[in-house]
Amino acid sequence: MPATASTMITVNGVRHELTVEPRWLLVDVLRDTLGLTGTHIGCEHGVCGTCTVLVNGETVRACLMLAIGADGTEVMTVEGLGSADGGLHPLQEAFREAQGLQCGFCTPGMLMIAYELLRANPAPSEAEIREAISANLCRCTGYQGIIEAVSLAAARGAVARAG
Amino acid sequence: MAAPPRTWIGKDIPRLEDPKLLAGRATYVDDVRLPGMLQAAVLRSPHAHARIVRVDASRARAQAGVLAVVTGEDARAMTNPLPAFCAEPVTQYALAVDKVRFAGEAVAAVAAVDRYTAEDAVALLEVEYEPLPALTDPFAAMQPGAPKIHDTLPSNLVFEKTLSFGDVDGDFARARQVIRRRLRWHRASAQPLETAGAVCRYDPLGQRMDVWSNTNMINFVGWLIANTLKVPASKLNLIPMYVGGSFGSKHVLAKVIAIAGMLAKRANRPVKFMEDRVDNLLASENLACDRYYDAELAVNDQGEFTSMRVQVVDDYGAYFQFGHGTHGNALAQVTGPYRIGSVSYSVQCVLTNKCQQGVFRGAGSDAGNFCLERLVDAAAQELGVDRVELRRRNFIHAARFPFKTPVGNVYDSGNYPAVLDRALELAGSTELARMRQEARAQGRYVGIGLATAQQRSVYGPTEFWFWYDTPGLSSAPESVGLSLGPTGEFVATMFSPFWGNSPETVVAQVAAEEFGIDPAQVTVTYEDSQHGLPGAGPGGSRMAVMLTGATVGAARKLKDKLARIVAHQFEAAPEDVVFGDGKAMVRGMPDKSMTYADLGLKAYWFKLNLPPGMESGLEARHTYDHPYLTLPSADRKDLGAFYPIMAHGAHIPVVEVNPETGQVRILRYVAVHDVGTMINPKSLRGQIAGGITQGIGMALYEEYRYDAEGQPLTGSFMDYLLPTAHEVPTFEIGHVETPSPFTEYGVKGGGEGGRMIAPAALASAVEDALAPLGVRIDELPMTPERLADLVETARARR
Amino acid sequence: MKPSRFEYMAPRAEEDALALLGEHGERAKLLAGGQSLIPLMNFRLARPEVVIDINRIASLAYVRGQDGGVAIGALTRQHVLERDAEVVGRVPVLAEACHLIGHLPIRHRGTVGGNLAHADPASELPAAMVALGAEMVAASRQGRRVIDAEGFFAGPLTTILRSDELLIEIRVPGLPPRTGGAFVEISRRAGDYALVGATALVTLDAAGRCTRARIALCGAGPTPIRAAAAEQILGGERVAGSALEEAARRAADATYPPSDVHASSAFRRKLARHVTREALETAARRAEGA
Repeated sequence: MPATASTMITVNGVRHELTVEPRWLLVDVLRDTLGLTGTHIGCEHGVCGTCTVLVNGETVRACLMLAIGADGTEVMTVEGLGSADGGLHPLQEAFREAQGLQCGFCTPGMLMIAYELLRANPAPSEAEIREAISANLCRCTGYQGIIEAVSLAAARGAVARAG
Repeated sequence: MAAPPRTWIGKDIPRLEDPKLLAGRATYVDDVRLPGMLQAAVLRSPHAHARIVRVDASRARAQAGVLAVVTGEDARAMTNPLPAFCAEPVTQYALAVDKVRFAGEAVAAVAAVDRYTAEDAVALLEVEYEPLPALTDPFAAMQPGAPKIHDTLPSNLVFEKTLSFGDVDGDFARARQVIRRRLRWHRASAQPLETAGAVCRYDPLGQRMDVWSNTNMINFVGWLIANTLKVPASKLNLIPMYVGGSFGSKHVLAKVIAIAGMLAKRANRPVKFMEDRVDNLLASENLACDRYYDAELAVNDQGEFTSMRVQVVDDYGAYFQFGHGTHGNALAQVTGPYRIGSVSYSVQCVLTNKCQQGVFRGAGSDAGNFCLERLVDAAAQELGVDRVELRRRNFIHAARFPFKTPVGNVYDSGNYPAVLDRALELAGSTELARMRQEARAQGRYVGIGLATAQQRSVYGPTEFWFWYDTPGLSSAPESVGLSLGPTGEFVATMFSPFWGNSPETVVAQVAAEEFGIDPAQVTVTYEDSQHGLPGAGPGGSRMAVMLTGATVGAARKLKDKLARIVAHQFEAAPEDVVFGDGKAMVRGMPDKSMTYADLGLKAYWFKLNLPPGMESGLEARHTYDHPYLTLPSADRKDLGAFYPIMAHGAHIPVVEVNPETGQVRILRYVAVHDVGTMINPKSLRGQIAGGITQGIGMALYEEYRYDAEGQPLTGSFMDYLLPTAHEVPTFEIGHVETPSPFTEYGVKGGGEGGRMIAPAALASAVEDALAPLGVRIDELPMTPERLADLVETARARR
Repeated sequence: MKPSRFEYMAPRAEEDALALLGEHGERAKLLAGGQSLIPLMNFRLARPEVVIDINRIASLAYVRGQDGGVAIGALTRQHVLERDAEVVGRVPVLAEACHLIGHLPIRHRGTVGGNLAHADPASELPAAMVALGAEMVAASRQGRRVIDAEGFFAGPLTTILRSDELLIEIRVPGLPPRTGGAFVEISRRAGDYALVGATALVTLDAAGRCTRARIALCGAGPTPIRAAAAEQILGGERVAGSALEEAARRAADATYPPSDVHASSAFRRKLARHVTREALETAARRAEGA
């Protein structure tokens, strides 16, 4: 029986007491233990950013973090972005309108990047948006639709500035 | 002739696919969870070429949490070889049998309670190999005495043929100038962010296999996969998933399905095999062209291109699963948008100890465009003619369409001068030239590139076999079902998966146009292979055309029935019934109309009010076959029409090259595409931007490298470099619309064009930038070191 | 790509970490930001039997002005370092180098100490620390020792830290007046490891001549390469013209870079000349303005 440990992670506002193997990656615990499959796996070596989530308000690559390393933290995934009535967050609406996605696989990670950017910088320039999203790979869009989506979201004040 | 005004075709509506993708609610194959499901991991060969002496799985099997281990011997017993689209006896099993032929080939697989445990068990597998000489150079591999990669073949030169059309020798003899280039196009890979995977669940009592996989062609090649799995074709069910990109790499995922299937049978539990990134980089079944071109263009006294000769050596890797279809593909547009009258094309397909080729967006026509456009640029230079003028002079004239090319393929329509003009206008060519002049005066190396090239769409399956003498398949259909329910809601059913293109949106927009409804009123579902109609699925930029055709076909059938119901209701003639504004109406008589809800209710619940003999219900399905496909002639002097829906584009990139560091910065990128009638322009622009970005990857960053022992040196995303947002500019995309005469609504396919044209355009731009040094670009990708070396050599010459 | 199994320990105080290191030393790997270690573990290139997670030792994360320079706790996140007012004010070249590490999400987790202890020859911070003449403070149950940055790095992915030692602090001395610094690197894509990079610090006298130069390169050998000969060329000279060219050439000559898929050794050496020249030029320009 492999050794396990307890960890407490708050995910999208819900506290979870989990029993994990220390080696389990945060992305796997989110997807498999908690069933939050919106966060995707792209490379497992920290290059593509597909698995990006927010940990204590900061974007991190969930494939480069042990779940046990997230003990005591607050994690936000794409599932935490939606509105209370199950609809889309204004940031997601902006992506929809600007067609900032095609296959959707990189999209949750991109949304986390965009969310963090707009909380810190509600009126980013195109260069600042490009800089922020350069952390994540997209193989479909050529990034143009994503930049337009984030610009649109910014113009609409889709994300409130972080306090 | 102008098209009638349209309501929905041509509109930038938001995509139907997006809400669930944005919410993270779409089900990709790795999201599938079944009770008792196990996870698999694969042991891969560390050797590029070796005999498998012994596989000892005992320690792996004994590991707690491991429920099944399979090896090559199991693959030989439990499966049939993978489906192959070549005629040659190149046998491939999902796990290597007796021999490994590329570093990364799957040797054994484990199913365990989770992926962590499966990988622990893989580490316990013991394999004894007897290394053999590894062949990495196709020129060495094709030599008669070279070690054979397959004992079933006489040599590693697995296929060799020349196809010749028109009087090539005569045209060359009469030429005023012959332009010759030797070119190199390196191996790349699609690398979608989602890797390939499959979940298999086997029911031994019924011999039934359920497969959730991101494979394509679920309603086209299911029976081939069933054969590989040794289950009856009627008992195999392939369930479509949302797919996180494919770009050609997920057409027939027989290998991952077979691995999961074997383990599912052995473990008697569902098994998921999801490739990780290393699996995908090493062993994706669809690496791309790896070519050596020796090509010539014959030019006459008037500066007209009269003939071309292409000789290609193509390094296929260890298996030949998808055959030489990518050369058939290149023949679809080998003469480009030009009036070249004769062609000879010689191909040598060579096997080496590398992972095999398949298709990657462009599928051979990307490299073909590079070859032709390099020759054209070279011709302009050697003749001392402006490269824009030279192209214009050689374009096929608008009056000549439909145009039959020397190889036999037809170009349905086109207006190449208009596309070029629009591109030059968007680029501001005069101002650009002035800017380049200024930059050069400052000692900066700024270049303007140009490529005017074809982007064929809607493949005909003959391209997979017309290099052979015996005929092969001639079907490549696509189906759509449309139903109208008792509440007036429309449901569209599709039979091929979503790849990141916009199939649901296409179907909804076309249905909306046909019926006069809002696309939001169309619900789209997918059908699996047990309940499916034929569909070859995405690939070859075919879905816009094929889905439009299938939707129109289904709509016509449905409207026919609706018209008869309305006609019967109002004692009118069915041909007088028109559709629009959410209803069907007797022309000119608004009182004599029925809403779709009325019609739905009537058709399902009021049989006795229907015309006599009419069945209850409102559903129509249509299988739309290739709109214009003809067979090749027996002597192969005329390949027939096999890729006639011909889109076109002109790209004008502007780059700056640092001659010391070899770094290339893309300052601007102008692209004008003519893909016929556009259904959703914004969605098309996304495809173009994404395609160009992959083209930038091909031109500057992406390359598979091997050492002398066949060890892949680009086995992670730190070494195989995909462009980030910093490597691409803001694209300036323009459109021209020359409808197709052969498709519904005149639609053409535009999904691949970006990647098919950008590498040629960027080679042109970098060569232009380094023109003061006399540097020639013959090789892609143009890495910093390659460019710096070219500059140094050029400077040393002076 | 999942890690192999390990024993996991998460001390909350420095002395507990040192005790664990003393006991498990050889079998253990320290886990700080994980941005270098966890990929290696996912590839199973690193298979430590014991992982000592030091992220909970809050006392190791700080940045303080000290003796004109800065003292940096080893657990300071890279993102914090690059924005810290003391760093930006006193040793801005360090912030410049730090900003080039990967991407923001990497720098949210990656630590200064972790990056230095990992000692990737292509990494920016080791070269910057060598150029700055920083000192590393290592602690063990036996006590503390101070190690000069240049002597700290022993080879690729190797420092002189013993298996029972923990890097706890990095001390960066202040810079003399009229000193400018610059970090210039060349990479295949923005955010990638440098093919080669150069840190340059230039101090000018009132006449604009160089009184002190410090140059260190990354990606140029098995450890950061201090270009001492190049530094000497610039003594008493304007950082321009033939002195600048000669310094750049000497710096490149001092390198023995690796060959890999991205660049051959010869090309890296050529790039070394380029980045050294650029870094020196920029550093001199900033020194004029300082």
